[in-house]
Amino acid sequence: MSWFDSIIATNAKTLSKISTTLRLGAGATWPGEIALTVKPNILSSLLSGLRKGIIIVAGTNGKTTTARMIVTILEAQGLRVIHNASGANLLNGIVSALINKADWRGQVSADWGVFEVDENSLPQFIKSIKSIKSKVVLVLLNLFRDQLDRYGEVDVISEKWQKSLESLNNVKIIANADDPLIAYLASSASRPGPSFAQATAGRLEASTRFFGLDDPSQFQKKIEHATDSTFCPTCGTRLLYEGYYYSHIGIWKCIKCKTKRPPLDVSECDYPLPGLYNRYNTLAAVAASQVLDIKQETISEALAGFVPAFGRQEEFTIDGKKVKIFLSKNPTGFNQSLRTILDLGAKHLLLVLNDRIPDGRDVSWIWDVDFELLTQDEHVITVSGDRVYDLALRLKYANLNQFFVEPNLHHALKQSLDVSSKSETLYILATYSAMLDVRKLLTGRKIL
Amino acid sequence: MSTYGDRGNIICLEKRCEWRGIEARVTQVTLETPVRELKSCDLIFMGGAQDRQQKLAGDDFLHHKGPVVKAMVEQGVPALFVCAAYQFVGHYYQPYQGDKIPGAGIFDLYTVHPGDQKKRLIGNVVAELSCQLSAVSCQLKTIVGFENHGGKTYLNENPKSQIPMTKPLAKVIKGFGNNGEDGYEGAVYKNSIGSYFHGPLLPKNPHIADWLIAKALEMKYGKIIPLENLDDSLEWQAHSQML
Ligand SMILES: [Zn+2]
Repeated sequence: MSWFDSIIATNAKTLSKISTTLRLGAGATWPGEIALTVKPNILSSLLSGLRKGIIIVAGTNGKTTTARMIVTILEAQGLRVIHNASGANLLNGIVSALINKADWRGQVSADWGVFEVDENSLPQFIKSIKSIKSKVVLVLLNLFRDQLDRYGEVDVISEKWQKSLESLNNVKIIANADDPLIAYLASSASRPGPSFAQATAGRLEASTRFFGLDDPSQFQKKIEHATDSTFCPTCGTRLLYEGYYYSHIGIWKCIKCKTKRPPLDVSECDYPLPGLYNRYNTLAAVAASQVLDIKQETISEALAGFVPAFGRQEEFTIDGKKVKIFLSKNPTGFNQSLRTILDLGAKHLLLVLNDRIPDGRDVSWIWDVDFELLTQDEHVITVSGDRVYDLALRLKYANLNQFFVEPNLHHALKQSLDVSSKSETLYILATYSAMLDVRKLLTGRKIL
Repeated sequence: MSTYGDRGNIICLEKRCEWRGIEARVTQVTLETPVRELKSCDLIFMGGAQDRQQKLAGDDFLHHKGPVVKAMVEQGVPALFVCAAYQFVGHYYQPYQGDKIPGAGIFDLYTVHPGDQKKRLIGNVVAELSCQLSAVSCQLKTIVGFENHGGKTYLNENPKSQIPMTKPLAKVIKGFGNNGEDGYEGAVYKNSIGSYFHGPLLPKNPHIADWLIAKALEMKYGKIIPLENLDDSLEWQAHSQML
């Protein structure tokens, strides 16, 4: 790191300290923003301070949980890890995380950097690590439709990823075999030249490891609506599925070009969190840890004590009543949360829909959520949030006619708690900013 | 083709029929669906799609189902075309680079993409319905939705040569609409509607949903069949919230 970089990093660090003191939020991204403006290649300089390497976690859903699991495992191994806060997954957030851990000279001192990276920022991030000599592990989880107004569509993102992955060498890729598009991207990146069909037919080079599920008992009986890439990424033919786990994730093949789900390297382990989507997050973390030569014992022990990130199945006890928050930010995530809480026997539900910038301004996606899974007799439901009436309307058209509509979140929370008894759990499904608001109320204990 | 809450339009039509005791069956038209099945429909909906899917469905639609849908629309079968489908039923789509992509030529309109660097037209939209739909009995003359499109759509390719049969659906009050320039949103031709509104369009605009249902009944039975009133207080509350 040059003297100039050090000055910027230290200055930005001072700013970051001030922002923390002034309670502007510890996860503020603007120190990184400033540093990036002054010195666009600051990221490569900072990253070169990582002794062992970089682990990147990318995908629409599950980034935060997977990255956190990897951090937990690495720390159990006694390694020093730097990682970015959940949600701060654009370049400025990553730079801020590094600056925060830099010393007075602006130098980073840690073994590993574990970063969750936003879908759209991934190509740019990959560009800044090209010159890095240390190890790079890239974990590719999935690609679902997110809020359309924030991101390009899945196809556009996958094209950008493909281009940038082609430019990488010396990278270990950990990829979800059950997501056809991810499998395709990982295969074409790990072996440029031969076709995807050839690549999946034989064993791949050791540079890509695939995780996935081999558990037909988990196949969905009815296909959810929020399905994206059902067409063969290689030839465009409609894919044939032996079974769907959720959304377009499943055991797939193409009858035309013979491409099929690649053989799995990791397909089972102990799962610390409920929900099928968390199985994938866990498998990804395990697969990543294995390529870092961490012992199976260490991995299992670390995961057994895993504490989820805030808002991801986070538990609270309010007045002797249990509350569990499920961040549910897009149709796939929402469907997964619904399925998981129904498996857990949920009776009391609070659903909160906001349409602020971090949630996405477009709420059309709620019509792709299978609220038809809920029934009048079994579930006591309250809806709230900035777009409470949109959510209420969605429920009405899902055959539900008795539920509470409460625009005021504070009242909605109090009301939901009032109607549940001490032995019951209140399940809260909320979009991003709504989840933060719910937490604020719960941790502030303002409601009672 | 269904993405971005398009299913909401189908659910809305289905439920509003069901609640009135009107029997309705939904048939999903895919690449493999035979033409005679499409011909048997009394109401058509087409929505947006991702590029990959759009290309596949687009080629098929243009060559096989497009002419059938065109003939049905000409006969007065009601149809709703949203977003990508709305662009597709025009004469053509002019991408930023490359040749014009021909459309189905059902509506007298065309779409131009001004370039990747141009800002997409994104956000909540409110518009006031124009006279064509005034037969609809409703409390409000507005429509609300969410738009998100890069292409700009213009009605009436040759305004001088013919009487424009394709008319704007509404006048924009808040947002961009067809192109962000002339202040119009959507298009109406015979009993068919084209629109950029997601949201999805129909649940928060029950008057549009009922207009389509009423037209479908009228065409099927050859006479005007009044629709039973429904309790739409929640629908209008969600609608008013956006005004
Ligand atoms: Zn294929």
